[in-house]
Amino acid sequence: MTAYKTKLLNTLFGILLVTAGMGLLLGLYTGLIRLGLVLPSAFELGAMAHGPLMINGFLATLISVERGAALEKLWTYIAPASFAISTFLLMFGHTAAGGYFLILGSVLLLLIMGYLCKIQPVNHHFIMAGGALALLNGNLLFILNTPVFELSGWWVAFPLLTIFGERLELNRIMRPPKKAVHLFTVLIFLWILSLAGIHAERDLFWQAGSVLIIAISVWLIRYDVARRTIKSVEWTRYSAWGLLTGYGWLIAVGIMGVIFGLPQAGFMYDAILHIFFVGFVFSMIFAHAAVIIPALTGKIVPYSHYFYFPLILLHGFLLIRILGDLFMSAGWRNIGSYGNVAAILLFLGGIIFQLFYSHFKKK
Amino acid sequence: MKDIHQIRPKIVERLREVIDPELGVNIVDLGLIYQIFPEDDKLRVDFTTTTPGCPLRRFLHQQVEKALQDIEGIGEYEINMVMKPDWKVEMIKEGVVFFAVPPPPRK
Repeated sequence: MTAYKTKLLNTLFGILLVTAGMGLLLGLYTGLIRLGLVLPSAFELGAMAHGPLMINGFLATLISVERGAALEKLWTYIAPASFAISTFLLMFGHTAAGGYFLILGSVLLLLIMGYLCKIQPVNHHFIMAGGALALLNGNLLFILNTPVFELSGWWVAFPLLTIFGERLELNRIMRPPKKAVHLFTVLIFLWILSLAGIHAERDLFWQAGSVLIIAISVWLIRYDVARRTIKSVEWTRYSAWGLLTGYGWLIAVGIMGVIFGLPQAGFMYDAILHIFFVGFVFSMIFAHAAVIIPALTGKIVPYSHYFYFPLILLHGFLLIRILGDLFMSAGWRNIGSYGNVAAILLFLGGIIFQLFYSHFKKK
Repeated sequence: MKDIHQIRPKIVERLREVIDPELGVNIVDLGLIYQIFPEDDKLRVDFTTTTPGCPLRRFLHQQVEKALQDIEGIGEYEINMVMKPDWKVEMIKEGVVFFAVPPPPRK
């Protein structure tokens, strides 16, 4: 690679990373607007931007930057760049134009995953490609003005399938039997079918999908290296706690889905979506931070026991939020939600502090 | 560049200090270093990642580069990330302890 191309990719990479961070902060901010927070703002952001910003502005930008870093080709950076542009457009109220960039980003992410499947046609790549397809589905429905409750299953599936594929890939070191790997893939395939089914028969297919989610979680607990590494130390042990608690939330949301289906709005809808996104996805992000950060910044994050603090806050406040939802208490739900935002910011702050601290300590 | 037979053990030793943070094992024992050989007066190191979609590619590339910079008499070098042959768990050195580095388990 030429020095010019390396420099260009590094600059692009840095900008995209900052934009993903901005997507997260704006996503959290709009989440608070949803809860009734009123602050003077220079941006044209409303409560409805919460979902698109968290899914696309943050998760899709971050995940596609990771894939760009893996393939190190200029075209692969067009995907995260499109998500980043859409974040800016959404920020200034250009929802329609932002939507087109979401589609461009999703199509390119799907192409990246297709390219990976071509290089190495293996189950974990197919599952991650399923995640990119789910994102494209969700975003297409979004720009066609489909109500968010109709498309939220696809948005849930994007990070879930990406994480399922990554865990399957990493857990090759556990050498799971081939039959078990095929079973995992079949369960996931059936889950994707159930997501399509909810457009026809919402509750029935959501309940069927919830049974599959429980089965997938049990598979992960059985075959994930986390059950062993929880006896380890530092980041490794921390990561195992994040993974296993995340799988625990998946089982919980599966049970709730079997009992309640997926309402179109209200407390239970809030509970189900936030168990997926906060209990599972953010727990996974915390768990993988020791790997994601070096991949993105080139720097190792020194471990500190401090990181258990935001992890405990994340799960503790999510529990409060879910109890608030179950007992239809808006007050408890709000306390839990603010606590979750605090947990995420405290985690992010801890990472930034550790990176700067180790940098200056070396000097 | 010094004689490759003389310098290769030093390179391998140094590359054993590069740890894959995802698995806590050095990249040599993980089987990620495919080739270390001279080519047109340059040293060439071919490495791979556990999967072509692995975001640690840049990080590992930087770490391999740092490792090579520390070795005396190496001269010019080229580091290539290669995707073929596919990495497989069978390439991991037998008896490797995952997640042991860093740090060693407390007693």
